[in-house]
Amino acid sequence: MKVRYRPAPASEACLANVYVWESPVRICHWLIAGSIWVLSITGLYMGNPMLTAPGAASEHFLMGTAKLIHFYAAIVFTLSVLTRVVWMFIGNRYAAWDKFVPARAIRRKGLGPTLRYYLFALRLPPGFVGHNPLAGLFYTLVFVLYGVQIATGLGMYAASAHVESPLRVFTFFLPLFGGLQTAHWIHHVVMWLLWMFIVHHVYSAVLMSQVEENATVESIFSGHKFVPREDLIYSGYRFVDRDTLRGG
Amino acid sequence: MEQTGSWFVRELERRGVSRRDFLGFCGVMSTVLALPRSAGARIADAIATKEKPTLVWLEFQDCAGNTESFLRAGRPTTADIILDTLSVDYHETIMAAAGHQAEAALAGVVADRPGGYIAVVEGSIPTGANGAYCTIGGRSALAIAREVCGGAAATIAIGTCAAFGGLPAAAPNPTGALSVADAVPGIKNLINLPACPANAENLVGVIVYYLTFNRFPPLDRYKRPLFAYGKSIHDNCERRSHYDGGQYVERWGDEGHRTGYCLYKMGCKGPVTFQNCPNVGWNEGTNWPIGCGHPCMGCAEPDFWDKMTPFYSHLAGFPGFGVHSNVDRVGLWATAGVAAAFAAHGFVQLGKRWKQGDLEHQKVAARAGAASDAEKGEPS
Repeated sequence: MKVRYRPAPASEACLANVYVWESPVRICHWLIAGSIWVLSITGLYMGNPMLTAPGAASEHFLMGTAKLIHFYAAIVFTLSVLTRVVWMFIGNRYAAWDKFVPARAIRRKGLGPTLRYYLFALRLPPGFVGHNPLAGLFYTLVFVLYGVQIATGLGMYAASAHVESPLRVFTFFLPLFGGLQTAHWIHHVVMWLLWMFIVHHVYSAVLMSQVEENATVESIFSGHKFVPREDLIYSGYRFVDRDTLRGG
Repeated sequence: MEQTGSWFVRELERRGVSRRDFLGFCGVMSTVLALPRSAGARIADAIATKEKPTLVWLEFQDCAGNTESFLRAGRPTTADIILDTLSVDYHETIMAAAGHQAEAALAGVVADRPGGYIAVVEGSIPTGANGAYCTIGGRSALAIAREVCGGAAATIAIGTCAAFGGLPAAAPNPTGALSVADAVPGIKNLINLPACPANAENLVGVIVYYLTFNRFPPLDRYKRPLFAYGKSIHDNCERRSHYDGGQYVERWGDEGHRTGYCLYKMGCKGPVTFQNCPNVGWNEGTNWPIGCGHPCMGCAEPDFWDKMTPFYSHLAGFPGFGVHSNVDRVGLWATAGVAAAFAAHGFVQLGKRWKQGDLEHQKVAARAGAASDAEKGEPS
């Protein structure tokens, strides 16, 4: 028996080159991804400083440097997340807020089939060009987690900021998270939740790229996806197999 | 102050306190209160000439630790005299009167001087069982606090129990203990002086501020005076350079501990606790917890017994994994678990595609899929 690992590629004539991810989306994505790496590494050191410097304290600034990098990375992270949220309202249709919050019926209808695809009940995922509805819903939660990280982080920073610093206003966040000590704890837990998401995110991107053969992974570099034309026409209604729709 | 020839000046002389000592105290007070140096003269004038306020000291669910702290006020002599000259009309632990006589003294102050006395409250106020957990002279703590604090010019909640509920209010809070602010809402000029116990220097500071300026010091969100609770212990810590440099005590008695390294990894709550311990010190500035090698326990913060524990860990554990579990270790394993789950998904995916590799097979599967999806909504 001849064994093939990949589904039959759609013929070139049936594919459309779609500019899905505009440059602000791509830049924000990589700034957020990069700053999460930097924030996690410096944050893990700040929570549990495993390196101890020898000699006089005045000769070293290990923790101080880690905190400094953490704060600068936090600024990059916060501004990138804010930019991305603003772009949800001025960017193209694939970047829009309604691709995250399942406010429209078509998105809600797509949730079940997408989940069924992940659970192997469907062979191919429903044909949404940008985020699929399930991924969008998860990204909504991820943005909420970003918000929690930013709020707890600003609160913790503000607590020790100079009395006259305008950032002092962010101590307002601390009671919402049960006080300064509990805010630290939440900051740690949410970091791990985000890493669980990142594991899922990278896996799913590679999986979809393989299954749909639409350059999902490449699209976050180039912005372009190659999608079946009917996905553009029917806009996510392909809850069944692409081959079926095409009449086999 | 010589010109005034007040009773206070004579009292200083009688007790052998020199003018130099007295002015030294006033200088220290202006430092404690974070006032400019010139404020010392004004403080000296106010202390020497002004009439001292009447004070009543209520004890509810407490251990009398703040009373102990108060009786051993640092920088004694002058501070002693100030505290002595305050007309302390009611204080269960130190008053000579007892029983009905004592209660009559308290009732007298409340009736005769409405709005003209300062109430100091030590200990939390139980609200469970209609207040039966703490009664004095047959009346509940809540009823006493309502009456006495309600008629006071100001109420000073001294110690963490009075300020935030403290130990009696820790989970599961069997007596329904509340802080003064929560038990008697709406009382005017409430000042919280948390810490377990509160530092007597800060109580003297509040009183000296009141004598000098005829008002109470600026407060933060938790009604704590900013002069004493404006900065974290961490930000004023004498071991801060070891923290910034990356030098930490790893275990009790190790080289770092003996050298005086930062106690961060031993669970020090200095970064999340606000008080002036590092500046003022305890027992006449002799020392303070971190100075003698013990991490801060965060005793001056709200809910410290519930939120700052375990005292010797940086963070609380993860629910369901034990008090001493490490939240980062739980997080790492959970992330590894998620990765394993997706790896399994990937293998199943590969396996299925191996089986379905044949194009004919795909079409069969597609037709089956279409049939089962028919009710889900066809493309329009």
